[in-house]
Amino acid sequence: MKNLKKFLSLGIAAAMTLSLAACGGSASSSQGAAPADASTATAPAANVGTIENDGNYDECTIKFSWWGGDSRHAATQEAVKKFMEKYPGITVEVNFGAWSDWEAARALEFQSGTAADVNQINQSWINEFDSAGNVFLDLNQVSEIIDLSQWSEDSLAQLKDVNGGIAGVPVAMTGRTLYWDKTTFDEAGIGVPTTLEELRAAGKTFQEKLGDEYYPLALGEFDRAIFMTFYLQAKYGKAIIEDGQLNFTEEELKDGLDFIMSLEADHVIPSIKTIDGDAAASLDQNPKFIDGRYAGILEWDSAPLKYKNALGEGREFVVGEELKNLGGNDNTGVFTKVSLGFAISTTSQHPKEAAMLIEYLCNDPEGAAIMGSERGIPESKAGYEATEAAGGIDETIAAAHEIVMAASEYAEDPIFESNDLKGSEGTYKYVFGGLSYEEFDTAEAATELYDGISAACG
Amino acid sequence: MKKWAKNNVGFFFIIPWLIGFLVFKAYPFGSSLYYSFTDYNLFKGMTKFGLMNYQEVLTKRQNVTALAITFKYAFMTVPLKLIVALLIAYILNFKLKAVNLFRTAYYIPSILGGSVAISVLWRALFKDDGLIQQMIRMFGATPPSFMTDPNWALFIICLLRVWQFGSTMVIFLAALKGVPEDLYEAASLDGATKWRQFFSITVPLITPVIFYNLITQLVQAFQEFNGPFIITNGGPRGATTLMSILIYNAAFKAYDMGLASAMAWVLFVILLFFTAISFWSQKHWVYYSDEG
Repeated sequence: MKNLKKFLSLGIAAAMTLSLAACGGSASSSQGAAPADASTATAPAANVGTIENDGNYDECTIKFSWWGGDSRHAATQEAVKKFMEKYPGITVEVNFGAWSDWEAARALEFQSGTAADVNQINQSWINEFDSAGNVFLDLNQVSEIIDLSQWSEDSLAQLKDVNGGIAGVPVAMTGRTLYWDKTTFDEAGIGVPTTLEELRAAGKTFQEKLGDEYYPLALGEFDRAIFMTFYLQAKYGKAIIEDGQLNFTEEELKDGLDFIMSLEADHVIPSIKTIDGDAAASLDQNPKFIDGRYAGILEWDSAPLKYKNALGEGREFVVGEELKNLGGNDNTGVFTKVSLGFAISTTSQHPKEAAMLIEYLCNDPEGAAIMGSERGIPESKAGYEATEAAGGIDETIAAAHEIVMAASEYAEDPIFESNDLKGSEGTYKYVFGGLSYEEFDTAEAATELYDGISAACG
Repeated sequence: MKKWAKNNVGFFFIIPWLIGFLVFKAYPFGSSLYYSFTDYNLFKGMTKFGLMNYQEVLTKRQNVTALAITFKYAFMTVPLKLIVALLIAYILNFKLKAVNLFRTAYYIPSILGGSVAISVLWRALFKDDGLIQQMIRMFGATPPSFMTDPNWALFIICLLRVWQFGSTMVIFLAALKGVPEDLYEAASLDGATKWRQFFSITVPLITPVIFYNLITQLVQAFQEFNGPFIITNGGPRGATTLMSILIYNAAFKAYDMGLASAMAWVLFVILLFFTAISFWSQKHWVYYSDEG
């Protein structure tokens, strides 16, 4: 009996040691290879060629991941449920959550080849995570299943990978516009601003009539970068980043920074220090926004609802216009981008069924109607018609989208939102925060901004 | 063979632990050292090998500032926490009414640990117009802006850790219970005051426990992450950006594993240095009863 125990112990130990050796071997081999190749190590979907739509599908389980708020989660879960009813045998496992740290978690999945079959992606992810064009499946391969003709060529072009393949379908286009808490403006006895002059005047009126804590607009560091870009693009009539290169001189950037700081000086926007002192995780959770002391925001047209819903009872949330005369001319300087897309991982074992899910969510009358405008106004023509017919387009989002698309003059380069610029240690936070905290002047800030954007452009 | 197996069978029993150690500790430890000499980015691969990451960690303004703040944080938090924990343990060692209730109450913050919920609560307490500012205003004083003043911001992060002194206190309490009563009686007969008794009897006899707490708290302080990440997110203007936050940002925001590994190794070497200094210094101030 004793010998048997020893024999068993030795056997188990030997097996565990062997399994360790196996792990070690695999780890060292992956270490030797370039990490960008990790995603290609298992890429069953990458080499499938064009998948025919023969009306058949496999019984299988596919995974679908997205980020968003509660209402988006509810709508998407409902759509997934209906998809599974329509295609019995396909099981969709869902993974969803809030944006916070979502990107880092998905990045690790893309890198390790364990990403979901269908992924909600940001436009910038294609540059960041698919620099070799081998993480997201070229959707041309599943064009018999996903009706790509429902999207304009321009919008599809924004999600192209380095090889010219379509890395994802755009769910919606988006841009930023202004939104106002009209109740505060009523209390101040003025209308919501439509021009830069009116906005400046509102700053003074708020201060005099309502008090020092009241501002017509609140802008964080990244909001300031966008608003400054609108100003510069309007004034100089050119995009901030064109063909991957910074298109403005240091002097021109200084002009933009002076413009932002003039808004702070005119009591139009609170300082970054003031916003930091509020210690709110985001503006929609800031009590000063909720009770109307911050009476305006610059936000994506696809995301106003969380602000609208956050406002205190009885307060009126209205969609504003893009400011006229921002750059002293008729230009708006507004840019738009793909708000987000749906993509299939090259590691997917079931690209056909994954494509069927995307087709259902974006183009199918039933699926698109359930998804509604939770991700913005649907970019797919069929999806838009179905959503509109079902009354699923939110009025606020629709109004904002119309204003943004009518004012749009440029397409945002994904570099503008790269981590080096937008990240928590990025250039925007450093430059706009430092200026507001009076750590340096606009000339020094312009140098930092110029160097930062130039470095991000590479 | 039989004799060999008999003599070494114990070794095989620890193989499960050994596997865990090798896979989850030794391998990451070794690979991070290797990566620290490369420009390994999760999505761009690795093209260079050299000391560039260490050069960046030790020369780039942002990193040097974070190192300085980490030192400041550790050297504020550790002594404060040890003093508060020892003081409260000393008081709770007396025969007081409802002493167990007090012990439990003081220990509770430690159970909560560095949790997200407590950090969120801390943020709500110290924000502008938060409870602490309102209380200060009630006394007619003008409160500082805890979240935007760099010095205050770091202090409130320290305060959170100091507030969680319960576990350290319990260890001190156990040590205090081990100090022989007859020494105090003899000192009393010789006319020693409580103050004198504390410094001449209590402190010397519990120096091994002070030493233990010093090492564990030092390690914990240099690794602090939750508090500054959630309460201030490294702000204002980087005033609470400890090295751990920079490591996280480099690894999981910029995916620069080479730089993140180098930062982690610099932090490890610093910690090793201070631990070694502490161990070296103990012969001058730590009293072990078995040394006679």
